[in-house]
Amino acid sequence: MAEVKGFIDSVYCGSGVDGRGLRCVVFFSGCNLRCPFCHNPETLFKRGQEKTAGELFEYLKRYKPYFKKGGVTLSGGEPFLQKEFLLALAGKLKSEGIHVVAETNGYICDEEILRALDGVIVDVKNQETDDLSPYNKFFEACRNAGCDLTVTNVLVPGKNDSAEKLRALSALIKGEGRVKFLPLRKLCEEKYRELQMRFPYADIREAEEEDVIKAENLLYND
Amino acid sequence: MAKAKFTGGVYESEINVRDFIQKNYMPYEGGSEFLSGPTKRTAKMMEKVNALLKEESDKGGVLDVDTERVSSLLTYPAGYIDRENEIIVGLQTDAPLKRGVNPFGGIRMARQACEAYGYKLSDKVEEEFSYKTTHNDGVFHVYTDDMKAVRHAGLLTGLPDAYGRGRIIGDYRRVALYGADKLIEEKEKDRRAYGKKLMDEANIRTLEELYKQIDFLKKLKDMALLYGKDISAPAQNAEEAIQWTYFAYLAAIKEQNGAAMSLGRVSTFFDIYIERDLADGTLTEERAQELIDDFVIKLRITRQLRTPEYNDLFGGDPTWTTESIGGMGEDGRTLVTKTSYRMLNTLYNLGAAPEPNMTVLWSERLPEPFKNFCAKVSIDTDSIQYENDDLMRPIYGDDYGIACCVSAMKIGKQMQFFGARCNLAKLLLLTLNGGKDEKSGKQLGPVGDSFKGKLDYKKVRAAYSKYIAWLCNLYVNTLNVIHYMHDKYAYEKIQMALHDTEVERFLACGVAGLSVAVDSLSAIKYADVTPVYNDEGIIYDFKIEGEFPKYGNDDDRADSIAVELLREFHETLKKTPAYRGAIHTLSVLTITSNVVYGKKTGATPDGRAAGEPFAPGANPMHNRDVSGALASLNSVAKLPYDCCRDGISNTFSIVPSALGGDREERAENLTDMLDGYFTQGAHHLNVNVFDREKLVAAMEHPELYPNVTIRVSGYAVNFHKLSKAHQLEVLKRTYHGRI
Repeated sequence: MAEVKGFIDSVYCGSGVDGRGLRCVVFFSGCNLRCPFCHNPETLFKRGQEKTAGELFEYLKRYKPYFKKGGVTLSGGEPFLQKEFLLALAGKLKSEGIHVVAETNGYICDEEILRALDGVIVDVKNQETDDLSPYNKFFEACRNAGCDLTVTNVLVPGKNDSAEKLRALSALIKGEGRVKFLPLRKLCEEKYRELQMRFPYADIREAEEEDVIKAENLLYND
Repeated sequence: MAKAKFTGGVYESEINVRDFIQKNYMPYEGGSEFLSGPTKRTAKMMEKVNALLKEESDKGGVLDVDTERVSSLLTYPAGYIDRENEIIVGLQTDAPLKRGVNPFGGIRMARQACEAYGYKLSDKVEEEFSYKTTHNDGVFHVYTDDMKAVRHAGLLTGLPDAYGRGRIIGDYRRVALYGADKLIEEKEKDRRAYGKKLMDEANIRTLEELYKQIDFLKKLKDMALLYGKDISAPAQNAEEAIQWTYFAYLAAIKEQNGAAMSLGRVSTFFDIYIERDLADGTLTEERAQELIDDFVIKLRITRQLRTPEYNDLFGGDPTWTTESIGGMGEDGRTLVTKTSYRMLNTLYNLGAAPEPNMTVLWSERLPEPFKNFCAKVSIDTDSIQYENDDLMRPIYGDDYGIACCVSAMKIGKQMQFFGARCNLAKLLLLTLNGGKDEKSGKQLGPVGDSFKGKLDYKKVRAAYSKYIAWLCNLYVNTLNVIHYMHDKYAYEKIQMALHDTEVERFLACGVAGLSVAVDSLSAIKYADVTPVYNDEGIIYDFKIEGEFPKYGNDDDRADSIAVELLREFHETLKKTPAYRGAIHTLSVLTITSNVVYGKKTGATPDGRAAGEPFAPGANPMHNRDVSGALASLNSVAKLPYDCCRDGISNTFSIVPSALGGDREERAENLTDMLDGYFTQGAHHLNVNVFDREKLVAAMEHPELYPNVTIRVSGYAVNFHKLSKAHQLEVLKRTYHGRI
C-alpha cells in the first residue's frame, strides 16, 4: 500500500504556547479560509513540501524525550483539509503514546478527525462576519467525539472588540469554558512582504494588553 | 552541651569526605516553602556591598589595587566589610574589592594590569621579581619557534602561559571535617613513604611538592589566626564548618590567580552540620540561611587583577567560583538537601548574580519539587547552568565537582592541566591555504597542496586531517611545556595540599569554532564552494552556490560532520603523550572568547564574513538554527561526551512567553526541556530566560545571546531575524509584560 502523502510548510520544534507542555508544531499547507489577519500566509500561498506521514512521524518521534506533558500540534493552514494525511500521522503519533492536538478554524466539521485527536484548538473568526453557526456544529461534534476543546479568538481593535461582538461570542461559548484572546500582532507583515503581498490589516493597530483585559471584562462580567 | 556524634565510617581512618557525606547527609525531597528571606543584617550588609560594587564599576571596573605587596596567605592583615556584623570572615586583601598583585604567573601581565587601571607596580615588587623566574619566564625559555608562531597567529589561543592556570578544585571541605593538623599529619605520612622510594626525578618532585603543601597548610592555620580563628581541629558546628571551608578557599585565591578558581561541591556537606545544629536547637532556619548568605557574599566579591586583553577573552571579570549543586548518589538517594535550596535561595536574598557560578547537576531522577524550584530560579534570575549528572556520575562517581564551566573532576582526587583551545575554523583555512595563515600569509604549518577551483570535499577533508595531526602534536607539546613550568614556578601549594597525594591528571584540550568548521565542511560537501584568492595567492573569500545543511537543525548530514570531527581530534591528541601521564580530554567551550577568535579568523566557506564572531562553545552558529529550540538542542545532544570529557557547552536563550503562558507553565516546560535534552546524553545547558534588559543586550550583542526565540500569537520568529525596528517594537511589548 502506498504511504499517505501530504503537504506541509514546515515543522517548528519547541513551542510552549500551542497546547499543553512542550510541543512540535507541524504547519500544514493550504486553507479553506482567507482571513485578513492570517499570521501564516506562507501556508496559504505556497505549495509547501510533500512528505509521507511515515517520514514526518519518524522525524517527530525524535522529540519524544521532551514530551512529558507536551506532544505534537497540527497547525497550518488548515490541517483538517488534508484528512487522510492527518489521520495517518495522528494515528502513528498516538500509537507511540504522543499527545496530538490540532489548531483549526472550525469550518470543517469532521467527527472522524476529532476522534483521532486528543484535543482541538478552535479559533473563532468573528472579525469580518456575525455568522457563528459553523461553531455551534463544531462544538457539538467535539462533545460527541470526546475531543478536548480550547477556544481562541484573535482580538482586532475596531473589528471584534465591541460589546455587541463580545456578547455574541459569550453566547456562542456558553458551556465551553473560557476564550483565550490572542491580541492582533503585525509581525507577520514581513512574511507578506516576502510573498509580495500587502497585509490586509496593515492599517489596523495592534491589540494591547489593556484591550485584552477590557474584552475579558466585557465577556465574563456582563 | 556536647554535640551529637556523627555516624562513623572509613572517613575516620582515612581522608574521605565522600564517605562522611554518605554516612551522614539527609536527602530532601520536599519543596522550597521552608526557606527564609534575608535578615535585616544581611540586607544591611548587601547595601554596603552594593555601594562598593557601584563604586568599583564607576571607577572603570577596579576599585583599588595593592601594588606594594605580593598576594599570598599571610601578606595582608585581616580585612572586613563590616567587622561587627560579619559572620563568615576573610578577605583576599585588607579591604573589600581591593585587588592583590600576583606576579608568579608572569611579572609583565601583573605590571600591565596595574597600569591599565592607573596604578604602578611598586619598585619593591619589581625588584623582588627581577631575581625570580616566573611561570611565564619558564615557558618562554623553552617555547619553540613553531609554538610561538601558532600562538601568535591565534591558532592556539588563551593558553595559560602568563597567569595561573586555574581549573583546580581543592577539597576545601577537608579543612572543616578534619582540621588542619590532621591534614598535615597525613601529608607527613605520605612524605615519609615517598622518602623510601627511589630518588628519581618524579619522586624528588613529589617530595618537594609535599614539602610545599605542608608548609602552606601551616600558613593556612596562621592565616585563620589573623582572623582570631583556630582551625587546627575539626569544625564543631555549622558556622565553623562554613568558616573553615571558606578559609581554605580563600587561601587558594590569595595564592593563585587562575582563570577559574572553582569551589567544588560544598552545599550538601554544609547541610550535615546545619541539620545537626537545627536538631539540637543551636541554630534556626533564619540563621542557617544567614550563614549561607554571608558565605555567598564573600564569594561574590572575590577578584583577580587582570589586563583588559584578558577581559576581551573572558568578558565580565569572571572568577568561576563554581559550586556544583544536587545530583544523585550512587546508591540512588538524591544528593539534594535543604542547603541545596538555601544556596540557590541566595539568588533571591542577595539578588541575581553571576558568581558563585551555580551549577545544578541534573538527573532525571532528581526530586520533582527541586527540578521545579531550579526552573523557577532560572526563569527569575538567569543565573543557573545545568549539567548532566546521569552522564557524569558513572564516570566520576557522586562526589565530583565542576571546574570553570563544564570540566568535571573527582574532588580532591583528580586535577587538570588547563589547555585552552585550538581554533578549528582557522585550521580549516590553513588547510585550504596549504599551511599558510590566511591573515598574515605566513607559512605556519607544513607546506601542503593549495586548492584551486571548486572544492572537493574528500580532498579537503583528507588534507584537514593532515593538519589536525600536525596541530594536535604541537598543541600537546606546547601544553606540556606550560604545565611543566607551572608546576615548577607557580605550583598550587594549598590546593594540592587539599588533594590526595596520588592524584589523577587530565590534559584538558579544547576546540573553538566547531559550528563554523562543521557548516564550512557541510557547504563544501553539499553545495558548490569556490575559493577567491588575493594577489598573494591567499584565499580571502569563498563563492558559495546552492543550499547546504547546517548544524543546529537536527539534520544528521551536518551533525554527523561535527561528531566525526570531534572523534578524530580527540584520537589524534592522544597520539602525543602528555606531561605527568595526564589523560587527554577535550572540551567544546569558548566562554566569551568566541568573539576574539572570530576576529582572528578570515572569511570561511560557510558564508561567515572575516572577523565575524563565532558561536559560543558547541552552539550552532546564530541565525542558522531555524527549526526551533528543540531541534537546536537535539543537534548539540549528538556531540559525544565520551570523547569530550572536558565538557560540551551550550548557551541557550529563550523568551519567557515562548516557554509558556505563566510562570508555573514555564517552569514545567523548562523542566521537560532539560529532561528531554539530558536523557539524550547531552552534557550542559546554560539557560537564559530573557527579560527586557537582556533583549536590549541581545540586540546590541547578538553573538552573546544566540537562539532568542519569540512567539507572536500563533507563530514564532527568531529575534535576530527581525529588523531593528521590529526588535524595538518587541522591546516595547516586553516592557508591557507581554509579547
